Amino acid sequence: MASTSSLRSPSTWVFAATLGLLIVSLWWNLIGAPTEATMGTIQRIFYYHVPSAAAAWTALLLNAGASLWYLIRRSPAADALAVAGAEVGLAFLTIVLITGPIWARPVWGVWWVWDARLTLTLAMWVMYASYLILRQLTPPGSLQPRLAAALAVFFAADIPIDYMSIRWWRTQHPSPVLFGGPDSGLAPRMMTALLISMAAFLAVMGCLVWLRYRQEMARGRLAALRQRQLLLEES
Amino acid sequence: MRELGEWRIAAAVCARDLRIELRTREALLAMGFYALLVMVIFSFAFSSDASLTLRAGGGLLWVAFLFAALVALDRAFLREAGESSLVGLQIAPASRAAILAGKFAASYAIILGLEALLMPLFAVLFNTPRRADWGGIIITALLGTWALAANGTYFSAMCAHTRQRALLLPLLLLPVSIPAILAMVQATQVYLTGEGMANYWLQLLIGYDVIFTVLAWALADMVLDIE
Repeated sequence: MASTSSLRSPSTWVFAATLGLLIVSLWWNLIGAPTEATMGTIQRIFYYHVPSAAAAWTALLLNAGASLWYLIRRSPAADALAVAGAEVGLAFLTIVLITGPIWARPVWGVWWVWDARLTLTLAMWVMYASYLILRQLTPPGSLQPRLAAALAVFFAADIPIDYMSIRWWRTQHPSPVLFGGPDSGLAPRMMTALLISMAAFLAVMGCLVWLRYRQEMARGRLAALRQRQLLLEES
Repeated sequence: MRELGEWRIAAAVCARDLRIELRTREALLAMGFYALLVMVIFSFAFSSDASLTLRAGGGLLWVAFLFAALVALDRAFLREAGESSLVGLQIAPASRAAILAGKFAASYAIILGLEALLMPLFAVLFNTPRRADWGGIIITALLGTWALAANGTYFSAMCAHTRQRALLLPLLLLPVSIPAILAMVQATQVYLTGEGMANYWLQLLIGYDVIFTVLAWALADMVLDIE
Protein backbone atom coordinates (compact mmCIF):
# COMPACT_ATOMS: atom_id res chain seq x y z
CA MET A 1 0.00 0.00 0.00
CA ALA A 2 1.38 3.38 -0.94
CA SER A 3 1.62 5.71 2.00
CA THR A 4 1.55 9.43 1.30
CA SER A 5 2.95 10.47 4.65
CA SER A 6 6.09 8.35 4.33
CA LEU A 7 9.43 10.10 3.75
CA ARG A 8 10.02 7.81 0.82
CA SER A 9 7.06 9.27 -1.06
CA PRO A 10 8.32 11.54 -3.86
CA SER A 11 5.75 14.23 -3.04
CA THR A 12 7.34 14.77 0.39
CA TRP A 13 10.66 15.63 -1.26
CA VAL A 14 8.95 17.96 -3.73
CA PHE A 15 7.22 19.79 -0.86
CA ALA A 16 10.51 20.07 1.05
CA ALA A 17 12.31 21.40 -2.03
CA THR A 18 9.52 23.96 -2.53
CA LEU A 19 9.88 25.12 1.05
CA GLY A 20 13.65 25.46 0.58
CA LEU A 21 13.12 27.46 -2.61
CA LEU A 22 10.69 29.75 -0.77
CA ILE A 23 13.27 30.46 1.95
CA VAL A 24 15.97 31.19 -0.63
CA SER A 25 13.63 33.52 -2.49
CA LEU A 26 12.73 35.28 0.75
CA TRP A 27 16.42 36.14 1.27
CA TRP A 28 16.78 37.33 -2.33
CA ASN A 29 13.60 39.41 -2.21
CA LEU A 30 14.38 41.17 1.07
CA ILE A 31 18.20 41.33 1.15
CA GLY A 32 19.76 39.97 -2.03
CA ALA A 33 18.08 42.33 -4.46
CA PRO A 34 19.21 45.99 -4.41
CA THR A 35 16.77 48.69 -3.27
CA GLU A 36 15.20 50.45 -6.22
CA ALA A 37 16.48 54.01 -6.77
CA THR A 38 13.23 56.01 -7.07
CA MET A 39 10.55 53.82 -5.48
CA GLY A 40 12.61 52.58 -2.54
CA THR A 41 11.75 49.54 -0.45
CA ILE A 42 8.13 49.36 -1.60
CA GLN A 43 9.37 48.11 -4.97
CA ARG A 44 10.22 44.78 -3.30
CA ILE A 45 6.54 43.88 -3.32
CA PHE A 46 7.11 43.37 -7.02
CA TYR A 47 8.85 40.05 -6.22
CA TYR A 48 5.56 38.80 -4.81
CA HIS A 49 3.16 40.56 -7.14
CA VAL A 50 4.54 39.35 -10.47
CA PRO A 51 5.22 35.71 -9.45
CA SER A 52 1.70 35.49 -7.94
CA ALA A 53 0.27 36.70 -11.23
CA ALA A 54 2.31 34.08 -13.11
CA ALA A 55 1.14 31.36 -10.71
CA ALA A 56 -2.49 32.50 -11.03
CA TRP A 57 -2.37 32.49 -14.82
CA THR A 58 -0.76 29.05 -14.90
CA ALA A 59 -3.36 27.59 -12.52
CA LEU A 60 -6.23 29.13 -14.50
CA LEU A 61 -4.76 27.83 -17.75
CA LEU A 62 -4.76 24.39 -16.12
CA ASN A 63 -8.42 24.97 -15.30
CA ALA A 64 -9.21 25.89 -18.92
CA GLY A 65 -7.30 22.93 -20.35
CA ALA A 66 -8.81 20.47 -17.86
CA SER A 67 -12.32 21.82 -18.51
CA LEU A 68 -11.92 21.41 -22.25
CA TRP A 69 -10.59 17.90 -21.67
CA TYR A 70 -13.62 17.14 -19.49
CA LEU A 71 -16.01 18.28 -22.23
CA ILE A 72 -14.30 15.94 -24.70
CA ARG A 73 -13.64 12.91 -22.49
CA ARG A 74 -15.90 13.33 -19.43
CA SER A 75 -13.07 12.14 -17.23
CA PRO A 76 -13.42 12.70 -13.46
CA ALA A 77 -9.67 13.36 -13.23
CA ALA A 78 -10.03 16.33 -15.58
CA ASP A 79 -12.82 17.70 -13.42
CA ALA A 80 -10.71 17.33 -10.27
CA LEU A 81 -7.86 19.17 -11.96
CA ALA A 82 -10.26 21.92 -13.07
CA VAL A 83 -11.46 22.49 -9.50
CA ALA A 84 -7.91 22.51 -8.18
CA GLY A 85 -6.77 24.96 -10.86
CA ALA A 86 -9.68 27.35 -10.28
CA GLU A 87 -9.32 27.40 -6.49
CA VAL A 88 -5.55 27.83 -6.45
CA GLY A 89 -5.72 30.35 -9.30
CA LEU A 90 -8.29 32.39 -7.41
CA ALA A 91 -6.10 32.38 -4.28
CA PHE A 92 -3.10 33.71 -6.23
CA LEU A 93 -5.26 36.28 -8.01
CA THR A 94 -6.31 37.50 -4.56
CA ILE A 95 -2.63 37.99 -3.65
CA VAL A 96 -2.12 39.93 -6.90
CA LEU A 97 -5.11 42.16 -6.17
CA ILE A 98 -3.94 42.85 -2.59
CA THR A 99 -0.24 43.46 -3.31
CA GLY A 100 -1.01 45.65 -6.35
CA PRO A 101 -2.80 48.48 -4.50
CA ILE A 102 -0.27 48.38 -1.62
CA TRP A 103 2.41 49.19 -4.19
CA ALA A 104 0.26 51.60 -6.22
CA ARG A 105 -0.67 53.86 -3.30
CA PRO A 106 2.85 55.29 -2.67
CA VAL A 107 4.02 55.01 -6.31
CA TRP A 108 0.98 56.15 -8.33
CA GLY A 109 -0.61 58.06 -5.43
CA VAL A 110 -3.87 56.09 -5.73
CA TRP A 111 -4.93 52.64 -4.59
CA TRP A 112 -6.63 51.71 -7.81
CA VAL A 113 -7.02 52.85 -11.40
CA TRP A 114 -9.29 51.32 -14.03
CA ASP A 115 -6.41 50.37 -16.26
CA ALA A 116 -6.45 47.40 -18.65
CA ARG A 117 -4.56 44.89 -16.55
CA LEU A 118 -6.12 45.88 -13.26
CA THR A 119 -9.61 45.75 -14.69
CA LEU A 120 -8.94 42.40 -16.35
CA THR A 121 -7.50 40.92 -13.16
CA LEU A 122 -10.50 42.07 -11.17
CA ALA A 123 -12.85 40.72 -13.86
CA MET A 124 -11.05 37.37 -13.77
CA TRP A 125 -11.28 37.28 -10.00
CA VAL A 126 -15.05 37.81 -10.24
CA MET A 127 -15.34 35.19 -12.98
CA TYR A 128 -13.56 32.42 -11.12
CA ALA A 129 -15.31 33.30 -7.89
CA SER A 130 -18.63 32.87 -9.72
CA TYR A 131 -17.30 29.59 -11.16
CA LEU A 132 -16.76 28.28 -7.64
CA ILE A 133 -20.16 29.60 -6.55
CA LEU A 134 -21.78 27.76 -9.47
CA ARG A 135 -20.10 24.55 -8.35
CA GLN A 136 -21.36 25.16 -4.84
CA LEU A 137 -24.95 25.73 -5.94
CA THR A 138 -25.20 22.83 -8.39
CA PRO A 139 -26.45 19.55 -6.95
CA PRO A 140 -23.67 16.95 -6.87
CA GLY A 141 -23.67 14.31 -9.57
CA SER A 142 -22.77 14.30 -13.22
CA LEU A 143 -24.43 17.67 -13.79
CA GLN A 144 -21.99 19.66 -11.63
CA PRO A 145 -18.75 19.00 -13.52
CA ARG A 146 -20.53 19.41 -16.86
CA LEU A 147 -21.98 22.84 -16.09
CA ALA A 148 -18.69 23.94 -14.53
CA ALA A 149 -16.68 22.82 -17.56
CA ALA A 150 -19.07 24.58 -19.95
CA LEU A 151 -18.71 27.76 -17.91
CA ALA A 152 -14.91 27.52 -17.73
CA VAL A 153 -14.71 27.25 -21.54
CA PHE A 154 -16.83 30.41 -21.84
CA PHE A 155 -14.47 32.21 -19.47
CA ALA A 156 -11.40 31.02 -21.36
CA ALA A 157 -12.86 32.37 -24.61
CA ASP A 158 -13.80 35.63 -22.92
CA ILE A 159 -10.48 36.56 -21.31
CA PRO A 160 -8.52 37.43 -24.51
CA ILE A 161 -11.44 39.53 -25.84
CA ASP A 162 -11.71 41.16 -22.45
CA TYR A 163 -8.05 42.09 -22.45
CA MET A 164 -8.19 43.52 -25.97
CA SER A 165 -11.31 45.57 -25.31
CA ILE A 166 -10.05 47.04 -22.06
CA ARG A 167 -6.72 47.90 -23.67
CA TRP A 168 -8.55 50.06 -26.21
CA TRP A 169 -10.20 51.71 -23.33
CA ARG A 170 -7.18 52.77 -21.24
CA THR A 171 -3.79 51.62 -19.99
CA GLN A 172 -1.56 52.76 -17.14
CA HIS A 173 0.04 49.59 -15.72
CA PRO A 174 3.86 49.34 -16.08
CA SER A 175 4.83 47.35 -19.16
CA PRO A 176 6.19 43.82 -18.74
CA VAL A 177 9.80 43.47 -17.63
CA LEU A 178 10.14 39.96 -19.02
CA PHE A 179 9.95 39.59 -22.81
CA GLY A 180 9.02 43.28 -23.03
CA GLY A 181 10.35 45.76 -25.54
CA PRO A 182 14.05 46.67 -25.89
CA ASP A 183 13.70 49.39 -23.23
CA SER A 184 12.31 47.07 -20.59
CA GLY A 185 14.52 45.16 -18.22
CA LEU A 186 15.83 44.94 -14.70
CA ALA A 187 19.13 45.21 -12.87
CA PRO A 188 20.79 41.75 -12.97
CA ARG A 189 20.40 41.11 -9.24
CA MET A 190 16.75 42.18 -9.37
CA MET A 191 16.23 39.78 -12.24
CA THR A 192 17.79 36.95 -10.23
CA ALA A 193 15.46 37.69 -7.30
CA LEU A 194 12.47 37.82 -9.62
CA LEU A 195 13.31 34.54 -11.35
CA ILE A 196 13.92 32.70 -8.06
CA SER A 197 10.70 34.08 -6.64
CA MET A 198 8.88 33.09 -9.82
CA ALA A 199 10.19 29.53 -9.55
CA ALA A 200 9.23 29.36 -5.86
CA PHE A 201 5.69 30.62 -6.46
CA LEU A 202 5.14 28.31 -9.41
CA ALA A 203 6.35 25.41 -7.26
CA VAL A 204 3.96 26.37 -4.44
CA MET A 205 1.17 26.60 -6.99
CA GLY A 206 2.05 23.16 -8.34
CA CYS A 207 2.08 21.62 -4.84
CA LEU A 208 -1.27 23.17 -3.94
CA VAL A 209 -2.91 22.07 -7.20
CA TRP A 210 -1.50 18.57 -6.70
CA LEU A 211 -2.80 18.34 -3.12
CA ARG A 212 -6.21 19.70 -4.06
CA TYR A 213 -6.39 17.37 -7.05
CA ARG A 214 -5.64 14.34 -4.88
CA GLN A 215 -8.22 15.48 -2.34
CA GLU A 216 -10.88 15.90 -5.01
CA MET A 217 -10.13 12.45 -6.48
CA ALA A 218 -10.36 10.90 -3.01
CA ARG A 219 -13.67 12.67 -2.44
CA GLY A 220 -15.00 11.22 -5.69
CA ARG A 221 -13.90 7.70 -4.73
CA LEU A 222 -15.45 8.07 -1.29
CA ALA A 223 -18.77 9.18 -2.78
CA ALA A 224 -18.74 6.20 -5.15
CA LEU A 225 -17.99 3.81 -2.29
CA ARG A 226 -20.81 5.27 -0.18
CA GLN A 227 -23.21 4.84 -3.05
CA ARG A 228 -22.16 1.22 -3.47
CA GLN A 229 -22.58 0.59 0.23
CA LEU A 230 -26.10 2.03 0.12
CA LEU A 231 -26.96 -0.19 -2.85
CA LEU A 232 -25.59 -3.26 -1.08
CA GLU A 233 -27.56 -2.46 2.07
CA GLU A 234 -30.76 -2.12 0.08
CA SER A 235 -30.41 -5.41 -1.78
CA MET B 1 -44.60 10.96 -38.43
CA ARG B 2 -42.79 13.75 -40.22
CA GLU B 3 -39.53 14.96 -38.73
CA LEU B 4 -39.54 18.60 -37.88
CA GLY B 5 -36.57 20.60 -39.13
CA GLU B 6 -34.24 22.33 -36.68
CA TRP B 7 -35.43 25.77 -37.68
CA ARG B 8 -39.09 24.83 -37.37
CA ILE B 9 -38.48 23.58 -33.84
CA ALA B 10 -36.63 26.76 -32.92
CA ALA B 11 -39.45 28.82 -34.44
CA ALA B 12 -42.06 26.81 -32.52
CA VAL B 13 -40.27 27.30 -29.18
CA CYS B 14 -39.86 31.00 -29.91
CA ALA B 15 -43.50 31.43 -30.96
CA ARG B 16 -44.68 29.64 -27.83
CA ASP B 17 -42.57 31.83 -25.54
CA LEU B 18 -43.70 34.99 -27.29
CA ARG B 19 -47.35 33.90 -27.10
CA ILE B 20 -47.05 33.29 -23.35
CA GLU B 21 -45.41 36.68 -22.96
CA LEU B 22 -48.04 38.49 -25.00
CA ARG B 23 -50.86 36.87 -23.03
CA THR B 24 -49.42 37.48 -19.57
CA ARG B 25 -47.23 40.54 -20.31
CA GLU B 26 -45.38 39.61 -17.12
CA ALA B 27 -41.82 40.20 -18.26
CA LEU B 28 -42.52 43.31 -20.32
CA LEU B 29 -44.43 45.03 -17.52
CA ALA B 30 -41.97 44.13 -14.77
CA MET B 31 -38.92 44.88 -16.90
CA GLY B 32 -40.29 48.08 -18.34
CA PHE B 33 -41.16 49.46 -14.95
CA TYR B 34 -37.83 48.35 -13.56
CA ALA B 35 -35.83 50.02 -16.33
CA LEU B 36 -37.89 53.18 -15.99
CA LEU B 37 -37.21 53.26 -12.25
CA VAL B 38 -33.49 52.83 -12.81
CA MET B 39 -33.51 55.82 -15.15
CA VAL B 40 -35.42 57.94 -12.66
CA ILE B 41 -33.11 56.96 -9.80
CA PHE B 42 -30.14 57.88 -11.97
CA SER B 43 -31.51 61.34 -12.46
CA PHE B 44 -31.70 61.71 -8.65
CA ALA B 45 -28.30 60.14 -8.02
CA PHE B 46 -26.51 62.39 -10.49
CA SER B 47 -27.71 65.91 -11.07
CA SER B 48 -29.83 65.50 -14.15
CA ASP B 49 -29.13 68.00 -16.87
CA ALA B 50 -28.01 67.91 -20.47
CA SER B 51 -24.36 67.62 -19.43
CA LEU B 52 -25.09 64.30 -17.68
CA THR B 53 -26.22 62.84 -20.99
CA LEU B 54 -23.07 64.09 -22.65
CA ARG B 55 -20.82 62.62 -19.96
CA ALA B 56 -22.52 59.34 -19.15
CA GLY B 57 -25.56 58.86 -21.40
CA GLY B 58 -24.33 55.58 -22.90
CA GLY B 59 -23.65 54.05 -19.51
CA LEU B 60 -26.94 55.23 -18.11
CA LEU B 61 -28.98 53.81 -20.96
CA TRP B 62 -27.24 50.45 -20.85
CA VAL B 63 -27.31 49.96 -17.11
CA ALA B 64 -31.08 50.39 -17.25
CA PHE B 65 -31.39 47.98 -20.19
CA LEU B 66 -29.00 45.51 -18.58
CA PHE B 67 -31.04 45.22 -15.40
CA ALA B 68 -34.20 44.82 -17.43
CA ALA B 69 -32.57 42.18 -19.64
CA LEU B 70 -31.58 40.21 -16.54
CA VAL B 71 -35.22 40.06 -15.49
CA ALA B 72 -36.27 38.86 -18.95
CA LEU B 73 -33.53 36.25 -19.18
CA ASP B 74 -34.32 34.90 -15.76
CA ARG B 75 -37.94 34.52 -16.81
CA ALA B 76 -36.95 32.62 -19.96
CA PHE B 77 -36.39 29.44 -17.98
CA LEU B 78 -38.56 30.34 -14.99
CA ARG B 79 -41.45 29.75 -17.38
CA GLU B 80 -40.35 26.12 -17.63
CA ALA B 81 -40.12 25.59 -13.89
CA GLY B 82 -43.76 24.63 -13.34
CA GLU B 83 -45.35 21.31 -14.27
CA SER B 84 -42.03 19.69 -15.28
CA SER B 85 -42.15 21.65 -18.49
CA LEU B 86 -38.34 21.73 -18.67
CA VAL B 87 -38.24 17.94 -18.69
CA GLY B 88 -40.88 17.99 -21.41
CA LEU B 89 -38.71 20.25 -23.54
CA GLN B 90 -35.68 18.07 -22.96
CA ILE B 91 -37.32 14.82 -23.98
CA ALA B 92 -38.88 16.38 -27.07
CA PRO B 93 -37.40 14.96 -30.29
CA ALA B 94 -35.43 18.10 -30.97
CA SER B 95 -31.78 19.04 -30.70
CA ARG B 96 -30.80 21.06 -27.66
CA ALA B 97 -29.31 23.71 -29.89
CA ALA B 98 -32.67 24.23 -31.61
CA ILE B 99 -34.47 24.63 -28.28
CA LEU B 100 -31.85 27.06 -27.06
CA ALA B 101 -32.06 28.99 -30.35
CA GLY B 102 -35.83 29.31 -29.96
CA LYS B 103 -35.46 30.50 -26.39
CA PHE B 104 -32.82 32.96 -27.51
CA ALA B 105 -34.99 34.37 -30.31
CA ALA B 106 -37.89 34.94 -27.91
CA SER B 107 -35.71 36.69 -25.30
CA TYR B 108 -34.04 38.77 -28.02
CA ALA B 109 -37.40 39.93 -29.33
CA ILE B 110 -38.76 40.71 -25.85
CA ILE B 111 -35.70 42.73 -24.80
CA LEU B 112 -35.63 44.61 -28.12
CA GLY B 113 -39.32 45.42 -27.72
CA LEU B 114 -38.64 46.85 -24.31
CA GLU B 115 -35.73 48.90 -25.61
CA ALA B 116 -37.91 50.29 -28.38
CA LEU B 117 -40.41 51.44 -25.76
CA LEU B 118 -37.82 52.96 -23.44
CA MET B 119 -35.50 54.70 -25.88
CA PRO B 120 -37.88 57.58 -26.70
CA LEU B 121 -38.49 57.98 -22.98
CA PHE B 122 -34.76 58.15 -22.37
CA ALA B 123 -34.40 60.78 -25.11
CA VAL B 124 -37.06 62.94 -23.46
CA LEU B 125 -36.04 62.48 -19.81
CA PHE B 126 -32.36 63.13 -20.39
CA ASN B 127 -32.60 65.73 -23.15
CA THR B 128 -30.38 63.97 -25.64
CA PRO B 129 -28.60 66.46 -27.90
CA ARG B 130 -29.97 67.14 -31.36
CA ARG B 131 -26.83 65.85 -33.05
CA ALA B 132 -27.33 62.35 -31.57
CA ASP B 133 -27.14 59.69 -34.28
CA TRP B 134 -30.12 57.43 -33.56
CA GLY B 135 -29.38 55.10 -36.48
CA GLY B 136 -26.05 54.25 -34.87
CA ILE B 137 -27.62 53.80 -31.46
CA ILE B 138 -30.19 51.39 -32.90
CA ILE B 139 -27.47 49.34 -34.61
CA THR B 140 -25.53 49.24 -31.32
CA ALA B 141 -28.68 48.12 -29.50
CA LEU B 142 -29.35 45.35 -32.06
CA LEU B 143 -25.79 44.03 -31.74
CA GLY B 144 -25.43 44.55 -28.00
CA THR B 145 -28.78 42.99 -27.14
CA TRP B 146 -27.80 40.01 -29.29
CA ALA B 147 -24.73 39.51 -27.10
CA LEU B 148 -26.75 39.80 -23.88
CA ALA B 149 -29.54 37.52 -25.10
CA ALA B 150 -27.22 34.84 -26.52
CA ASN B 151 -25.03 34.57 -23.43
CA GLY B 152 -27.99 35.17 -21.15
CA THR B 153 -30.08 32.34 -22.63
CA TYR B 154 -27.15 29.98 -22.27
CA PHE B 155 -26.48 30.93 -18.65
CA SER B 156 -30.18 31.01 -17.84
CA ALA B 157 -30.41 27.38 -18.99
CA MET B 158 -27.36 26.59 -16.90
CA CYS B 159 -28.86 28.24 -13.83
CA ALA B 160 -32.18 26.45 -14.32
CA HIS B 161 -30.50 23.38 -12.82
CA THR B 162 -29.23 25.13 -9.72
CA ARG B 163 -30.50 26.47 -6.47
CA GLN B 164 -30.55 30.29 -6.17
CA ARG B 165 -31.18 30.64 -9.91
CA ALA B 166 -32.01 34.35 -9.84
CA LEU B 167 -28.89 35.16 -7.84
CA LEU B 168 -26.53 33.16 -9.99
CA LEU B 169 -27.57 34.50 -13.41
CA PRO B 170 -26.09 38.01 -13.00
CA LEU B 171 -23.00 36.51 -11.34
CA LEU B 172 -22.28 34.45 -14.44
CA LEU B 173 -23.56 36.77 -17.15
CA LEU B 174 -22.07 40.10 -16.11
CA PRO B 175 -18.36 39.16 -15.94
CA VAL B 176 -18.46 37.34 -19.28
CA SER B 177 -20.29 40.29 -20.85
CA ILE B 178 -17.70 42.90 -19.84
CA PRO B 179 -16.27 43.37 -23.36
CA ALA B 180 -19.76 43.60 -24.86
CA ILE B 181 -20.97 46.05 -22.20
CA LEU B 182 -17.86 48.18 -22.68
CA ALA B 183 -18.39 48.23 -26.44
CA MET B 184 -22.13 49.03 -26.19
CA VAL B 185 -21.55 51.87 -23.75
CA GLN B 186 -18.64 53.38 -25.67
CA ALA B 187 -20.38 53.14 -29.06
CA THR B 188 -23.60 54.64 -27.69
CA GLN B 189 -21.60 57.43 -26.09
CA VAL B 190 -19.96 58.21 -29.44
CA TYR B 191 -23.34 58.29 -31.21
CA LEU B 192 -24.92 60.43 -28.49
CA THR B 193 -22.22 63.10 -28.46
CA GLY B 194 -20.91 62.80 -32.01
CA GLU B 195 -17.35 62.75 -30.67
CA GLY B 196 -14.89 59.95 -31.38
CA MET B 197 -15.07 56.81 -33.49
CA ALA B 198 -17.54 53.99 -32.97
CA ASN B 199 -16.27 51.61 -35.66
CA TYR B 200 -13.86 49.70 -33.42
CA TRP B 201 -16.52 49.15 -30.83
CA LEU B 202 -19.05 47.92 -33.38
CA GLN B 203 -16.48 45.52 -34.81
CA LEU B 204 -15.75 44.26 -31.33
CA LEU B 205 -19.48 43.70 -30.75
CA ILE B 206 -19.87 41.79 -34.03
CA GLY B 207 -16.86 39.60 -33.22
CA TYR B 208 -18.15 39.00 -29.71
CA ASP B 209 -21.61 38.09 -31.03
CA VAL B 210 -20.19 35.59 -33.52
CA ILE B 211 -17.80 33.91 -31.07
CA PHE B 212 -20.29 33.48 -28.25
CA THR B 213 -23.22 32.50 -30.45
CA VAL B 214 -21.13 29.72 -31.99
CA LEU B 215 -19.85 28.67 -28.56
CA ALA B 216 -23.34 28.55 -27.05
CA TRP B 217 -24.57 26.61 -30.08
CA ALA B 218 -21.74 24.10 -29.82
CA LEU B 219 -22.12 23.62 -26.07
CA ALA B 220 -25.93 23.56 -25.97
CA ASP B 221 -25.94 19.87 -25.03
CA MET B 222 -23.96 20.67 -21.91
CA VAL B 223 -26.53 22.90 -20.28
CA LEU B 224 -29.77 21.36 -21.51
CA ASP B 225 -29.66 17.68 -20.82
CA ILE B 226 -31.46 15.48 -18.37
CA GLU B 227 -29.54 13.32 -15.97
